[in-house]
Amino acid sequence: MRPRFVILLVAVTALLAIVPIVGSPVMVQFGISTLLFAVLAQSWNIIGGFTGYPSFGNSVFYGLGVYGTAIAMAKFSLPFGVGLVCGAILAMLCALLIGLPVLRLRGQYFAIATLGLSVAMAAVFSNIEIAGANIGLILPLTRADGMFYELSLGLLVACVLCVFWISRSRFGMGLIAIREDEHAAASMGVNTTLYKTMALVLSALFTSIAGGIHAYFITFVDPASAFDSTLNVRMVIMTVFGGPGTVLGPVVGAFVLSAVYELLANWISTAAALLFGVVIVVAVIFMPRGIADLAAGIRRQGISYLLQNIRRYRL
Amino acid sequence: MNASSITSPATGMAPLLQTQDITKRFQGLVSVNHVSFDLNDGEILALIGPNGAGKTTLVNLISGTLPPSEGELRFQGTRIDTLPTYRRARLGIARTFQVMKPFRDLTALDNVATAALFGQRGGATTRQAAREDARKWLDFTGLGHRADQRADALGGPDLKRLELAKALAQRPKLLLLDEVMAGLNAVEIDEVVEVIKQIRDSGVTILIVEHVMKAVRSLADRVVVLHHGELIAQGNAETVFQDPRVVEAYLGKRRA
Ligand SMILES: Nc1ncnc2c1ncn2[C@@H]1O[C@H](COP(=O)(O)OP(=O)(O)OP(=O)(O)O)[C@@H](O)[C@H]1O
Ligand SMILES: [Mg+2]
Repeated sequence: MRPRFVILLVAVTALLAIVPIVGSPVMVQFGISTLLFAVLAQSWNIIGGFTGYPSFGNSVFYGLGVYGTAIAMAKFSLPFGVGLVCGAILAMLCALLIGLPVLRLRGQYFAIATLGLSVAMAAVFSNIEIAGANIGLILPLTRADGMFYELSLGLLVACVLCVFWISRSRFGMGLIAIREDEHAAASMGVNTTLYKTMALVLSALFTSIAGGIHAYFITFVDPASAFDSTLNVRMVIMTVFGGPGTVLGPVVGAFVLSAVYELLANWISTAAALLFGVVIVVAVIFMPRGIADLAAGIRRQGISYLLQNIRRYRL
Repeated sequence: MNASSITSPATGMAPLLQTQDITKRFQGLVSVNHVSFDLNDGEILALIGPNGAGKTTLVNLISGTLPPSEGELRFQGTRIDTLPTYRRARLGIARTFQVMKPFRDLTALDNVATAALFGQRGGATTRQAAREDARKWLDFTGLGHRADQRADALGGPDLKRLELAKALAQRPKLLLLDEVMAGLNAVEIDEVVEVIKQIRDSGVTILIVEHVMKAVRSLADRVVVLHHGELIAQGNAETVFQDPRVVEAYLGKRRA
């Protein structure tokens, strides 16, 4: 990476860090949810973008992060930090346990199996007494949006650094090889089972911490919103929009789409979801490989890049 | 199996690879049927046979892509048939795929660099070093000028070279080549034959599956013939090509 680009990234991060000091409360709250979405997209990127396994189980990891934190704080009066660790451990154990059987499935079968899991989890937590069953749990109220914001930003920076390392490492090359052709990867010496499971566990780690932060931020958790599979859909959309398998694409995707959604919702609230859908469809047609590839493509071939994509990816 | 085939008389060492009654069944179909042969250190063994004879299946059994239904495989004297694919690669077995499996999203260079990062134990550990190795292997297989192209921009012959470069970057002891010459023209075939001779001279043992008989003649120290999954002949090229069962296997197939 060029030094100029690194300086730019550090500057952007610094600018983001001072938002709670200079920005309005609304802006800070928007910032928290956007930063957490960026973490979720980037975490999905590890298993979906680099490894090529389209996970719909990441909302399970999110929900376990939510409940791990909530139960620790509401039922055992443990500090927030301990709650986050509990949630992360639960989610990583879950990734390990489901990874071994489910990561044997490919493509759409893997997607469906993990989707089933998130539905099942919501049902399970609706029946656990200590998790508040159907009603949910209430966490102690804190007015500390600045703290939530900086925590989310810190988590995002850690997550991006982790993905940066992946993109440069032998481990990451192994994941990419698995995505490109798993048989070829194994026959050249990649321990595919171990690598896939590690990718899922890493993805679960960051996803669950984001869930824990969000739980404490909104101070209320219930099964339907903790294990919400539309959240998983948003992770996929943001990653694919930004550029799966790249280091910054998912973050840019999450920022851009969150902003677009927010703007649309402010101007024309009823049609926002519809217009949001239109943006996604147009994006997928003209830039199926995401913003990251769009930037390189436009520099290389100008506007004809957009048209060429239509030709290249049609059936 | 007799004693002389377990220990090669010249060196007194065990053969590099031994297959013993190796068998693969798919539902009712027996693709490889109790096949036993040895592969000695440093030789080129050609595996030939009509279409559907079971050659690719046998390569899959050796590399670990498929588990055997029966039989044993030994590599440098130790059992490998229960090892997962990646462990066999770490021991020094590399292969090419007849149905090529390039990493389409990556450049030719990164395809080969990935192989250099993995493969037999003791290779490159950083991406930088792996890319330097990769450049060497791309030059060696005649793909140096396409290093920075994405694999999905390469044509058939170049993809064949890429398969070969990836296998070589794994620094194998045993190289399994599944029809690396299919679809190449006469000039390209001569080039690949030269490359394979150089690989052999560097000490790599090679199992080559090939339909191009001219190449088999000029490369193979020994030939093994499969037909309907059974080993029907083995020996040097000239004897094998004159074996009536081999002639019949090929002619019978052509008439059918
Ligand atoms: N995965 C599989 N499932 C079922 N049958 C298979 C499978 N793989 C191979 N076969 C069958 O096993 C037989 C041997 O196939 P194989 O590909 O090993 O032949 P081959 O000698 O490599 O032929 P070719 O020269 O055409 O490459 C064929 O009848 C094939 O249909
Ligand atoms: Mg074959």
